[in-house]
Amino acid sequence: MSQYYLFQDTKKCIGCHACEVQCKANKNLPVGPRLCQIIQVGPKMIGGLPRAAYIFMPCYHCENPWCVAACPTGAMQQRSSDGIVFVDHNLCVGCKTCISACPWGAPQWNPETGKVVKCDYCKDRVDQGLDPACVTTCLTHCLKFGKVEDMTQIRRDRHAQTVASLEHCAF
Amino acid sequence: MSVSQCPVTESILFIDDVIGKGGLTHPRSRRIAEEIHSLLDDVAWGRAGDDHLPAVLSLIQDLLQAANEPEGYRLGEHLHQTMQMHGEVFESHVKTHNCPTETCEWLTPAPCQMACPAGIDVPTYVTLIGQGRDAEAIDVIRQDNPFPWVCGLVCTRPCEFMCVRGRMDTPVSIKFLKAFAAERAMSEGTYRNPEKGPDQGKRICVIGAGPGGLSAAYYLALKGYGVHVIEALPTAGGMIMVGIPRYRLPREVIDREVAMLEELGVSFAFNTRFGEDVTLDDLKSQGFAAFFFAIGAHKAYNLGIPGEADFPQTLEAIDLLRRVALGERRMPGRRVVVIGGGNVAIDAARTCMRLGCPEVTIAYRRTRHEMPADEEEVEQAEEEGIHFSFLTIPAKIVGEDKKITGLSCIRAELVKREGSSRMSPVPVLGSEYIMDADVVISAIGQKVDQLCMGDLETMDWTRRGTIDVNMVTMETSIAGIFAAGDAVTGPATVIEAIGGGKRAAEAIDRYLLGLPQPQMPPVPVRRRREACIELPASTKTVIKRPTMDMLNMDRRRTTFQQVELGYTENMVREEARRCLRCDICRRCGKCVEVCRDKMGISALELGYLDFDHPGPTDLRVTEERCIACGACAANCPNDAMKIEDRGDERLLMLCGTILNRQKLVYCNSCGKAMGPMKYLDYIRKRTKSVTQVPDDALICENCARTKTARFNVHTLPV
Repeated sequence: MSQYYLFQDTKKCIGCHACEVQCKANKNLPVGPRLCQIIQVGPKMIGGLPRAAYIFMPCYHCENPWCVAACPTGAMQQRSSDGIVFVDHNLCVGCKTCISACPWGAPQWNPETGKVVKCDYCKDRVDQGLDPACVTTCLTHCLKFGKVEDMTQIRRDRHAQTVASLEHCAF
Repeated sequence: MSVSQCPVTESILFIDDVIGKGGLTHPRSRRIAEEIHSLLDDVAWGRAGDDHLPAVLSLIQDLLQAANEPEGYRLGEHLHQTMQMHGEVFESHVKTHNCPTETCEWLTPAPCQMACPAGIDVPTYVTLIGQGRDAEAIDVIRQDNPFPWVCGLVCTRPCEFMCVRGRMDTPVSIKFLKAFAAERAMSEGTYRNPEKGPDQGKRICVIGAGPGGLSAAYYLALKGYGVHVIEALPTAGGMIMVGIPRYRLPREVIDREVAMLEELGVSFAFNTRFGEDVTLDDLKSQGFAAFFFAIGAHKAYNLGIPGEADFPQTLEAIDLLRRVALGERRMPGRRVVVIGGGNVAIDAARTCMRLGCPEVTIAYRRTRHEMPADEEEVEQAEEEGIHFSFLTIPAKIVGEDKKITGLSCIRAELVKREGSSRMSPVPVLGSEYIMDADVVISAIGQKVDQLCMGDLETMDWTRRGTIDVNMVTMETSIAGIFAAGDAVTGPATVIEAIGGGKRAAEAIDRYLLGLPQPQMPPVPVRRRREACIELPASTKTVIKRPTMDMLNMDRRRTTFQQVELGYTENMVREEARRCLRCDICRRCGKCVEVCRDKMGISALELGYLDFDHPGPTDLRVTEERCIACGACAANCPNDAMKIEDRGDERLLMLCGTILNRQKLVYCNSCGKAMGPMKYLDYIRKRTKSVTQVPDDALICENCARTKTARFNVHTLPV
């Protein structure tokens, strides 16, 4: 697992896909590849009301990435300093084994270059101390990027609030 | 800039470099640079139209005017200089879709097309013939050569010597495919002239109705000029009519193709010898705006040995061939010795055999290996019973009472001479002997007859006695007079004369329109990018070049009937399918390198990367190790290598040759094609160490993700 965590506050997300657009613009991608994706679940009728959820799915930067194991050319790599999984485009030959190996569909096909492209948490930006492109443009500020240890706190606070409100809990 | 590199690609790389270094700080100049880059990209990838280069030039001016950007000015100046110096190369990229330096990947031409002196788009017409589209093939050929039928029978086929298929087994029979298509199109009535251009209101006189003159006449007529051809012989065709015997090229073939010119409005005056029957002033007074001399090389060289002028039985091969072509059938004598080793010597010998001479010998100073004559012709002559006497130097013609009795010869040995690539014959002392003969025919080469050009005093001649021209435009030293064919090159080939005639037509057009002449020799035009014919690798490999059926030997020795009987339709279509489509696959070897060095699979065995280091090539072995990953296709710059899911199979194709076909495996959950089992196995083997997925779970990555996502949704607080 990388040292970073990209947290999505699903409660805030309105499914505007601005993160996807910004991601593609930043990486200058053609029609086709979507490095991060908002997956819509629903709408479903819950308590007589239609509800939909939007799940943000970038690459998870697995601890033991299958794509890295699958890549025959060593193009797919895991950065030892922080665990970011990325493609070295100079080494990628476009055999698509990583695409087939990844259970999450994170590596994407770039038909213009004939090579694989994937989410690398915008490592060039991260190295400069900036946030990944998707985070910077999120309209509702539901995306947050940081070290794993900082991220847990948000969810803990949220859970505490939910518990404390007593409205939605079962007890 | 290195000599081999193309200025288009060089400019693109230069812009890349400037942008990459971040030197362009002003957004405006960076945008202009990017626009120039994208326009030049279009030029290098064959997408450019007529407006591209003017647009580039005006953008360069914009760069030069941006005063506050020194780097932009430098870039603009560099590009401006390149465009000034190599403007013709840029234009030729747009017009011909051909980058002869093979730097622009998409525009790299096929070796066969580059080998052709007329620059015919060989891969395109061969593919069309393979699909049975004969008339279209003829249209494509006639854009560069108005005589596909003639060339299909007698061309020296430089294309076949460069054919890449020849490095695998034998070259594609490019020459004869043309003849078949032309014959078929002619018989079906689909051999048609293209649309004629609007009338230019000017008349041009062509002197000499040989292949060079007629080609110029054809292209000038198409451009809308009135063309009048004068010819000393009583018939059109020049050397192809009176130099090539009828058993190789039937007269009807020439007549039918020349008739196509008459249909375009070209007029002919036969039995009119320039310099005798008509002079330049006569012609000028008839209102011709330009002249094109293609008078050929019809004058034989003298042997220069004693006795040559003493006997009436000493003949010139070219003279004998002319007389026979025009109808004479008298046997010159019983024992004939032909001196020479070129095609004319062989033609003369075989003609004598057909005239009834029982004993015909070709005497040549060197050995068979050094003979300039076509290998096939030498073989055919031998089959017919022509004797060869190699390493034989004629010394003297002997005889009595005005009758030849023999040829005195000296035996020779070959010696390597300094500064010469050919071995030189040196006489062996004391080896004189007499070869019995009634007739001696000299066939040691021809030269241009300068006599008829007597009144053109300012015409420059080369040291070899040919007309001196600018080889790019075929202009002579006299303005308005152009020349091509054997008269310029010395005795050469039909196809060279056709190429010269076509070049001259282009230059005459520019001369009459007042346009500047090009500095760069014309580049063959890639006419189309025809889709490849699909066939399995095994079939592609197994098809053999067909052997030509021949007339039976008795007829070959006694009549002038055509010797080569041609291929059947099936043979032609099959043969055309052997073409490797080198106009699309540039043999850069990226696919092989990726498969071997990057993927570690080494499934591709394509070794015909260059002439000097040929490796084994076998299209069939690919399927043994190939996992159909498609890395080769992803790295092919020209779309020659393609991977495609079709039906329930994944196909890997190189220029239409199906290298591998494997059954697809489908996702158990959604039914999506996941790729062939070999491919999935490869991935599974590589990821075994990190995954615990059971081997029988055939679920695509999308389904796997959806399942997991659904699981997450239900557990997350919404």
